[in-house]
Amino acid sequence: MASSMSWEEAREKLSEFREDRTRNSEEVVDIWRDVLADFRYKLGDEQWIIYEQVCIAACDCHQHHLAGECIDKLKTQFPSSCRVHRLEGLLLESKDNYEGAMSIYHEMLKDDPTNSLVRKRVVSVLKEQNKIPEAIKELNDYLKQFMSDTDSWMELCDLYLMEQDYSKAAFCIEELILSNPRNHLFHQKYAEVKYTQGGQDNMECACKYFAQAIKLNPTNMRALFGLFLAASTIASSQKTNAKSKKDAIKYAAWAAQQISLKYKELPMSGSGSSQIDAVSGMLDTLQITQGT
Amino acid sequence: MAELLLDSDIRVWVFLPIVLITFLVGIIRHYVTILLSSEKKVEIQQIADSQAMIRSRMLRENGRFIPRQSFLMRKEFFNNKETGYFKTEKREPVVNNPMTDPSMMMDMMKGNLTNVLPMIVIGGWINWAFSGFLTTKVPFPLTLRFKPMLQRGIELGSLDASWVSSASWYFLNVFGLRSMYNLILGQDNAADQTRMMQDQMSGAAMAMSPDPSKAFKAEWEELEITDHNWALEEVEEEIMGTAVTPPETIYIKNKMI
Repeated sequence: MASSMSWEEAREKLSEFREDRTRNSEEVVDIWRDVLADFRYKLGDEQWIIYEQVCIAACDCHQHHLAGECIDKLKTQFPSSCRVHRLEGLLLESKDNYEGAMSIYHEMLKDDPTNSLVRKRVVSVLKEQNKIPEAIKELNDYLKQFMSDTDSWMELCDLYLMEQDYSKAAFCIEELILSNPRNHLFHQKYAEVKYTQGGQDNMECACKYFAQAIKLNPTNMRALFGLFLAASTIASSQKTNAKSKKDAIKYAAWAAQQISLKYKELPMSGSGSSQIDAVSGMLDTLQITQGT
Repeated sequence: MAELLLDSDIRVWVFLPIVLITFLVGIIRHYVTILLSSEKKVEIQQIADSQAMIRSRMLRENGRFIPRQSFLMRKEFFNNKETGYFKTEKREPVVNNPMTDPSMMMDMMKGNLTNVLPMIVIGGWINWAFSGFLTTKVPFPLTLRFKPMLQRGIELGSLDASWVSSASWYFLNVFGLRSMYNLILGQDNAADQTRMMQDQMSGAAMAMSPDPSKAFKAEWEELEITDHNWALEEVEEEIMGTAVTPPETIYIKNKMI
């Protein structure tokens, strides 16, 4: 498919990928190998950024030879650029040579401790080797200095979740919510973590955050199910007092109603009937326990 | 008033040269700036400070979206009397005296060299070499107020205000060619990107105000008076009130029945 492109189209395509920050590594490598490699002299100054893009893509696809070629080209043009050094580290990483990559990164950090991208690479090398506690420590050090780097908070949250350290993961998501309180997925994730943590207070908190996620995006099915589950857990708990029990049942009923509404709206009705049955079944048992 | 006729030599030897000179000087200046530009070193402490400020600002603005306990925890982290971030992190007030800091001095000099100096030199030269010409006429009548702007160097009370003198033509060019430069040299052209390649990519390193301790104090005060007012107190009731019957679902429900 790629070979039928003209080189202008190929260039357009690559710059589109760069702008959208989509990685599409295999496609990038294909476009480069089939089309652009023969026209590299026509690219002018754009060729350097394309070399970088192709190099990262080649690392993804384990085409070490191609990546090495790109790095050589870039190195002759920019001998002292730290961006090229980082690519070298990336290539070593994709060859599973973690010590070599680490030594490159540490060398670079000695020269310029403010280079946040390299520090993130260090964290990801640790993560690749499955050294999660070390990665967490490194990322924590990084976040002490770059406190408002939301992507890193997200990464740290995932690392904590891998370690099943839910209260710390919750802290990280709180940080994400602070940075962008209009993103319903953050609220949903926070609620899920709280739900997983369990306990009376956490469950009420989860209920609230699921509700907030639904408020921000009424079509968020996962949050609807979450609200239903959290509310029913509260309702069936022994420790709940009468009033909040009544409220929780109200919420659960509402969520169940919404869920079945949403499924009925689906064009191919019947596909969600098992879910509806399950939900209404759960709701019934809830009302029975309430009644007794 | 009798119509003035300009010698066609004025067009060839004054009007066009001024355009050409200003344009070429602009291009040369662009490349000289690239040649002279030095990498800005950012201290890690500065980045950390500015990021802490951003985080604290976000806490103030969006604190109502997280539970009360989490909000207070963060507020303590920043504002605790003994251990708070804004209390313990004492920064030496950086007095950037340009005379003692050679790199600042260099930057200032380079800025002057590429911006102010050509302005003065070329402007002076144009004034000297091409002074006293009427170069062109704008194709619409103007009021007398425009005379000092358009007819610099020619003090003639009876001259129509729509004539443009050579010195004014130069200034019109200096400011008018800016969009031409953007078109030709561009902010996003390939030449710029290669420059980026050599630059340090130091992330979202925002330059801080020169005195962090003052900024910290201001931020501390702001945060101190911020109170937690949970936005999610009534959220379940809210969604049950608002999201139960959006018009679309009613429509579809009726259709299904």
